[in-house]
Amino acid sequence: MSSIWDTCLTKLENDIASTEFSTWIRPLQALENKSEEKIKLLAPNRFVLDWVKEHYLAKIEATVHEFSNGQITLDLEIGSKKPAPLTVSSTKATEKKSNPNFLNRAFTFDNFVEGKSNQLAKAASIQVSENIGKAYNPLLIYGSSGLGKTHLMHAIGNAVLQRKPSATIVYLHSEKFVQDMVKALQQNSINSFKDYYRGVDVLLIDDIQFFAGKERSQEEFFHTFNTLLEKKHQVVLTCDKYPKEIVGLEDRLKSRFGWGLPVSIEPPDMETRAAILMKKAELAHIELPQEVAFFIARRIPSNVRDLEGALRRVIANAQFTGREITTEFTKEALHDLLSLQDKLVNIDNIQKTVAEYFKIRIADLSSKNRRQSITRPRQMAMCLARELTSHSFPEIGDAFGGRDHTTVMNACKRITELKEADFKVAEDYSNLLRTLSH
Amino acid sequence: MAQQLPLQFEFRANQTFADFYSGSNQEIIDHLQHCVTGSGEAFIFVWGMPGQGKSHLLQACCHHAQKQELRSFYFDLASPSLPDPSLLSGLDECEVVCLDNIELISGNAAWELAFFNFFNQHRDQGHKLIVSASCSPGSLAIQLPDLKTRLNWGLALKLKMLSDDDRIAALIFKADQLGFEIAPQTGRFLLSHYHRNPQSLWTLLEKLNLASLAAKRKLTVPFLKTILEQDTHDA
Repeated sequence: MSSIWDTCLTKLENDIASTEFSTWIRPLQALENKSEEKIKLLAPNRFVLDWVKEHYLAKIEATVHEFSNGQITLDLEIGSKKPAPLTVSSTKATEKKSNPNFLNRAFTFDNFVEGKSNQLAKAASIQVSENIGKAYNPLLIYGSSGLGKTHLMHAIGNAVLQRKPSATIVYLHSEKFVQDMVKALQQNSINSFKDYYRGVDVLLIDDIQFFAGKERSQEEFFHTFNTLLEKKHQVVLTCDKYPKEIVGLEDRLKSRFGWGLPVSIEPPDMETRAAILMKKAELAHIELPQEVAFFIARRIPSNVRDLEGALRRVIANAQFTGREITTEFTKEALHDLLSLQDKLVNIDNIQKTVAEYFKIRIADLSSKNRRQSITRPRQMAMCLARELTSHSFPEIGDAFGGRDHTTVMNACKRITELKEADFKVAEDYSNLLRTLSH
Repeated sequence: MAQQLPLQFEFRANQTFADFYSGSNQEIIDHLQHCVTGSGEAFIFVWGMPGQGKSHLLQACCHHAQKQELRSFYFDLASPSLPDPSLLSGLDECEVVCLDNIELISGNAAWELAFFNFFNQHRDQGHKLIVSASCSPGSLAIQLPDLKTRLNWGLALKLKMLSDDDRIAALIFKADQLGFEIAPQTGRFLLSHYHRNPQSLWTLLEKLNLASLAAKRKLTVPFLKTILEQDTHDA
């Protein structure tokens, strides 16, 4: 029966515009039921379901009818072919077996690069992983986004799991806690929700700043937190700022978050940034020369995610081109990302830039003035417009005082020749090109 | 002799990788294909000027995912207007999610938060995310710092503008897909006299194909001039 849906898909792909097909039809999953002669189509969410019902259901039904000779009926509902995500009401044994507690195994203490900015946070995290519920409870790691808080949190979970594989560890974002709670309230299973979160050995909650303003969630988390601490189970939290500074967070929570050890992570210094890059490259089995690591570290002073993004680009480009990673190569590979801002290049800003460069008025570029001090910049601006925009010769001519397209063609030809023959023209052109595209 | 009326049909270019003229953008296609099949990056950020083919590539990713029997979802945030963020609900179950024009969520607090949560949950499940924008991730005016760093985290790939030679080759390639031939000098003429944005060129190509069918004539430069003149006159 699924082959009937495949046939229907082929037909629908021809009948429905490509974008609409990709958005609304392709995500539908088909479940066959041979005995009931039925196809159940599963939409990923209510939004898609409602849209498909309103706009495409008749067409889909007609297509299924056509290819099954009217033998098959169609149902449309929200769902997924894959097993549903575990809910808090699932049995613990099932969760244990199939839910990998959302820990990312790649984040360990071994591959966390230590520097002055994070050494206290790392040391405290190791302490906690070796003495759960005893060392610092709760452990609160705070600092700006992208500095390694989540890495340490996962590392704690992984280290605990290594020492005690039977430990129940749950890692989640605060927002997921809120979502699970709302779902539990809707499904009338709030007690299962409470039992689940209050029964774990280690609870790792990321980005608690998102609890701000969510009073019911804060209330529930307050009790979960108290129960875990009473049982001497470990709580680890991360936050983008010191909790006392969070607006919309209850005072009693702010106070409790400060009970254990709050440690901050600061942005890494340049040496640490370079070391992070070298470590990440090593994990990707890539040889990254030290000078390249320092080059990237100098250019990206912000956070570890930005560093990783830049390194990804360099590695991807090196793998595709087969070129050796050098500083020169890295400059090229990161050229677009390192530009402070991506200017929108259009004829207007080409004219403005050229006029400023040659110290003439923008209006001169569109005037009938034929002095060389004006015609040369005008030709250069036309040539740059041809090179940097998608406009046609006639469109460029129009933008320069309604000139004929052949004038633009001649200007481009003339500048190309002059760049070869006259060093000054080549230099001016190159300066302008750099100013406009960097 | 009466002019033959061509069969009216709506042009539906298949949005697959095979239908994309890559030119100097082959690297992007390779990374996208590897991402979808699971042998590459988990998150790719494709950016470039409008009309370079970002939407085509994102839809090609979904097509590729479908071939691998993976559940995919494509959505263009530009059409017709930014929907309710509940659009993202449940999408973390989709193995491949492609969101076009992600820059449009910048400054919309509800969308930024919803996308941040979706990003985390989708990533936690090991699924693949591909987004597109008209500017680099670092230039997005995203207000939520946690989301901004996450968007910078992925593999950012810039679609390069096609050179004029590439545009001519692309015209020939696209014309071939439509079932007619276009000579290089005809392509050169088009580039000199028409807007060179690829999207405008593909639209023009459709018109030319219909006109060529109607007149039963090959697309020579003189014939092209007649069509373009007619087009300008009609406009």
